[in-house]
Amino acid sequence: MNAPIPNLSKRQIGARVQRFEDTRLMSGAAKYIADITLPDMLHLSFVRSQVAHAKILEVDTSMLEDLDYPVQVFTGKDTDGLSLKANQDLPGVQRSEQPLLALDRLRFVGDPAAVVLADDPYLAEDAAELVFIDFDPLPVVATMEQALAEDTTPLFDGWTGNKFVERQMKGGDLEAARAQAAHVIRRTYRNQRQTGVPMEGRGVIADYDKGTRVLTLWSSTQMPHLVRTYICEELGLPESRIRVIAPDVGGGFGVKGQVFADEVLIAWLAIQTGRPVKWVEDRRENLIASIHARDHEHTLEAYVSAEGRLLGLKADISTDVGAYSTFPFTAGGDPGMAAKVMPGPYDFQAYEATFRALATNKCPLGTYRGVGRPSAVFSQERLMDVIAQEIGMDPIEFRLKNVVKEFPYKNVLGFTYDPGSYEESLLKMRELLAEDIKAAEASKASPDSRIGVGIACFIEQTAHGTGDFTKRRSPIETGYISARVEMSTDGEVLIGLGLQSHGQGLETTCAQVAADALGVGPQRVFVRHGDTLTSPYSVGTWGSRGGPLGGGAVHIAANKIADKLRLIAAHILQVADPATIQLDENRASVIGDPARFVPIPELARAALRNVDRLPEGMTPGLTEEFSLDGPKDGTYANAVHAAIVEIDVKTGKMKLRRFVVVEDCGTILNPMIVDGQVRGGVVQGIGSAIMEHMIYDEEGQPLTTTFADYLMPLATEMPEIDVHHIETPTPLTPLGAKGLGEGGAIGPPAAIANAVANALGVEVEATPLNAQAIWRLAKATRSEG
Amino acid sequence: MRPAPFSYHKAERLDQALALLAEFGEDARPIAGGQSLVPMMNLRLARPSHLVDINALDLDTIELRSDHLHIGALVRHERYARESLIAQHFPAFAEGVEWIGHPTIRRRGTLGGSISHADPTAELPALCVLLGAEIIAQSAEGSRRIPAAEFFISAYVTSLEAGEMVTGIDLPLPKGKSSGAFEEFAERSGDFAIISAGVTLEHDGRAITDARVVWSGVDLAPVMAERAGDLLRGKPLSAPEAEAAAQAMSAGITPLDDPMASAEFRHSLIVELTQRALTRACEKAMQAS
Amino acid sequence: MSKTTITANGQTKNLSLEPRRLLADVLREDFRLSGVHIGCAHGACGACTVHVDGVPRLSCLTFAVQCDGAEINTVESLGGDDAHHLLQRAFREEHGLQCGYCTPGFLMTMAPYVEEMAAQDRMPEDAEIRHAMSGNICRCTGYQSIVAAVRLAITQRRNGESTQ
Ligand SMILES: Cc1cc2nc3c(=O)[nH]c(=O)nc-3n(C[C@H](O)[C@H](O)[C@H](O)COP(=O)(O)OP(=O)(O)OC[C@H]3O[C@@H](n4cnc5c(N)ncnc54)[C@H](O)[C@@H]3O)c2cc1C
Repeated sequence: MNAPIPNLSKRQIGARVQRFEDTRLMSGAAKYIADITLPDMLHLSFVRSQVAHAKILEVDTSMLEDLDYPVQVFTGKDTDGLSLKANQDLPGVQRSEQPLLALDRLRFVGDPAAVVLADDPYLAEDAAELVFIDFDPLPVVATMEQALAEDTTPLFDGWTGNKFVERQMKGGDLEAARAQAAHVIRRTYRNQRQTGVPMEGRGVIADYDKGTRVLTLWSSTQMPHLVRTYICEELGLPESRIRVIAPDVGGGFGVKGQVFADEVLIAWLAIQTGRPVKWVEDRRENLIASIHARDHEHTLEAYVSAEGRLLGLKADISTDVGAYSTFPFTAGGDPGMAAKVMPGPYDFQAYEATFRALATNKCPLGTYRGVGRPSAVFSQERLMDVIAQEIGMDPIEFRLKNVVKEFPYKNVLGFTYDPGSYEESLLKMRELLAEDIKAAEASKASPDSRIGVGIACFIEQTAHGTGDFTKRRSPIETGYISARVEMSTDGEVLIGLGLQSHGQGLETTCAQVAADALGVGPQRVFVRHGDTLTSPYSVGTWGSRGGPLGGGAVHIAANKIADKLRLIAAHILQVADPATIQLDENRASVIGDPARFVPIPELARAALRNVDRLPEGMTPGLTEEFSLDGPKDGTYANAVHAAIVEIDVKTGKMKLRRFVVVEDCGTILNPMIVDGQVRGGVVQGIGSAIMEHMIYDEEGQPLTTTFADYLMPLATEMPEIDVHHIETPTPLTPLGAKGLGEGGAIGPPAAIANAVANALGVEVEATPLNAQAIWRLAKATRSEG
Repeated sequence: MRPAPFSYHKAERLDQALALLAEFGEDARPIAGGQSLVPMMNLRLARPSHLVDINALDLDTIELRSDHLHIGALVRHERYARESLIAQHFPAFAEGVEWIGHPTIRRRGTLGGSISHADPTAELPALCVLLGAEIIAQSAEGSRRIPAAEFFISAYVTSLEAGEMVTGIDLPLPKGKSSGAFEEFAERSGDFAIISAGVTLEHDGRAITDARVVWSGVDLAPVMAERAGDLLRGKPLSAPEAEAAAQAMSAGITPLDDPMASAEFRHSLIVELTQRALTRACEKAMQAS
Repeated sequence: MSKTTITANGQTKNLSLEPRRLLADVLREDFRLSGVHIGCAHGACGACTVHVDGVPRLSCLTFAVQCDGAEINTVESLGGDDAHHLLQRAFREEHGLQCGYCTPGFLMTMAPYVEEMAAQDRMPEDAEIRHAMSGNICRCTGYQSIVAAVRLAITQRRNGESTQ
């Protein structure tokens, strides 16, 4: 895939470089979507469904006629024929469409049925209150059970039942595994519905220039190019005349990693009205109508030999994906991911999973940090503890016995795992937990307070390439990431990065990577991203791909420039072999003879201005672009997480005493950023484990619609997170880096559930493990005391 | 999430505020800290047509007046920690107010706002009931004193009438030796309580001579434990049999039941928190004696 | 419309305002101080924290008309375009921010706290620091690095470093 590359000096890569983006983010100079204003702009307010399922009779806009300020209103009738289509092209899939504005049916509380445009956001909100949706209620599909019922009301015309998708994955001989098994262990596990909650909600601005026929769309998105492509396809505009800009983005976590119907709608409105249109999502909209996550139920059956070897696993996976299929990962994305990753780090060769995405009258489910993996790991790792207990083995010992130890390893579904440190990280964790395990044992005598230790051992497929996506037959289609590197006449470097950085620090890590290749300081590298005009085509920032693929693409493109600089330097310095030129400290010098050098800016001028100084036949210019696809099966990062909890048995109050991570993401580009990603992910995972819960009632009404009810981790409840690294560079990406953005969020639900089980001596089968849940679990312990 | 339109009136003096409230009646609301009212307005769950800003009024005194402590309606939550009179006379109050919200909110939110807003699990309403506060309500017509037990009617409903506002509360000083404690349970720090339990004791240095217990999270307004005094009177401070008392006084109580916390869970918390508060109040009493 | 005079970061404006306009919106739009971020508009995330007459206040729960005659400070005034305030430098050093959206609120909440601790010449426990920031939600960092940044700033202040 890539030729060996010289000059991997590692002087910047691996260094704890402070982030360049911090200054503007802290000074107030950053530009988020809400900060962008255009002359003559219209402000949009949505009229959203207040019921979960209904047939629309009429959208009554007559009250707007009496207003003493100008407004424009659009309903589903106006946008008839425009929709978001996100369908996998596979058997077992029922196709669906999401109209840009509800046409004949309201499918969840928050489903938009009309928009009002006014000159001021306050006025738009006032006017939106005056639009009434007349409807006939339909039976509400509020749970997975109801979606599976015989008499369920299909959410889409022409459907049978309420399954977006139902499919299978299998490998090996499960019957044989069952026959050999000394133990058959079956459990059902449940993860609640939640949402990702970036601190900045979403927002879209569109502006259409009649003269050039260029549509410019600003969106708080993780995937500007895909937004551009979808708008092109749906609105029939030439893609060359659409520019999508993701400005500074206040967190995404996957929530902003889909193309939304509103992005297409607002583009269309800007064209219709001839004026810029702006929408900034408010927090209630963000909670009820952006994207939800998790909401899985798994039944697993494991077959285990008398010696404690895992022989096979059978999984039944249901996900409540809400009312619409999301673009580009589709309704099948989350349950499909769970099915795919369920084998985890363990060595066994018989597996069968049935997975389904069920349609209900709730907000659509989309990608959120971990995508299917936190739920899969929760089930898998709970089950590992249960098995260990049933066969009388220590849980770490049991895992040590079963994890993959030899690489590359072909798993039961045919995925190849590149080298990792599964065993080593478990051993390391065991060492780190010695004192905690003792404390937990000592606490078992206490009637009031119990300490528990739980671990989760997992792998994460990251940086997966096109091969992985084509298999899914979903609209994502491809997985490469591009970077364009350009050196200008002054020797400064401009990178157009196909990724969008919204907290990951790519402006810094990619500068580090380019700096090493080009021998300039990273502060001389300016990374632009999130703008389709300045960045080459890419699918966006998601899937823990930024470091390995984005960094990798920069590395390769920058090295192409470095090669050219060396050729020019060799020519100017009259050295025969350009390989004897090194680029460092802003100079090209002869290795072993540092007094012979040319300043890099001088080389840049030669390449761009004084082209008469170039070797004969060399084309001028210092711009290189590279599109780096991920390896087909990706590269597998691995980690062990441990939670140490202390439970007040009487009240159910749980304190997280400590959280420990041993992780391996291959080459570390910037340790400060890696630790930040891990810790941030862990805290989100803790939120998933113990408190974040989108609750719907039986009428499909969301009950957690503000931050007073939708609880997220605050500083006060979060533990210190102790992070340890093992570095096993992968041969599959240019820098040896594996992805790590999501890993932090994957382990905590399992680790915490295992810790609670350990503390209380009970089985834990569901999250969130809030006080009430723990109080219920502690019942047995209380009655002992 | 922006408020509906309203007119704004800034009152410089109490009589001005009362005149404005009288003039606009049901359509007017005082605004104090705004930490409960403005969220409701931004969510358009409240839409007063007139806001009367009372922040400039001279209502932020805390002072001893003969047999009671007076606390003005504009005293902000953060202040109690610095007032020795509170810790000295009302230990349950001193503990209870520590549970309110987060620092920036505490710096702004007021006593009058909290009790007038009457969130069912807010701390100040529970403390007012526990300590037998009298709430002073004034209108253009005059002033009346409302016993806390009659003030809180339901969630967000008080016995204040249109045109009336709270100017302060009077907390009767304990007559003899006293002690108190407050326990609360919430999912996160600063959240409104799932259950809280406040206790005050009178004692003679060795045994309890009287006791009061209040809970929030049981009903839509704070609830006093009816038999607290009877159950605890005469119990030695060193062995108050707190668990049995907590069990007995909460027997037959059916707390609120919602997706965040079932009635059964709440009931168990009532017993546990009451017991803990009682035990600590007794310990404090013994230390002081 | 209400006549209101507001001074923000030293700049005074006489404004004619609809009473319902939130201080956050007026700072963002009339003063073009986009460092004031709105995270929830119901007082539960702290992103919009500014100083009103020197005291941290949620600008989403304050009407601009209530600030007639007041001096407001936003994150823009803390350490200028280079974000060189001591606490900002500590955030940079400790990686106390990722996406940056909540950061102005954290800085404006914690900068006076750092001063308070320095004035008392006291290093608070981590739990106290966490409590002081409990009204601010950060979704990226997991808080630990923010706590570290605050500790670093307090240490430096106690060692006599100036904030600028
Ligand atoms: C995130 C968050 C967390 C919170 N957590 C808690 C908590 O844990 N515990 C808790 O108790 N509170 C909590 N609060 C609420 C906070 O304590 C409020 O400050 C308090 O409830 C209201 O006080 P205020 O002065 O802000 O009142 P305002 O918001 O100004 O007013 C509230 C209501 O009272 C009326 N009012 C105000 N003053 C008077 C008066 N003098 N006479 C008559 N009516 C009046 C108003 O018209 C309005 O209806 C929280 C708030 C937030 C935003």
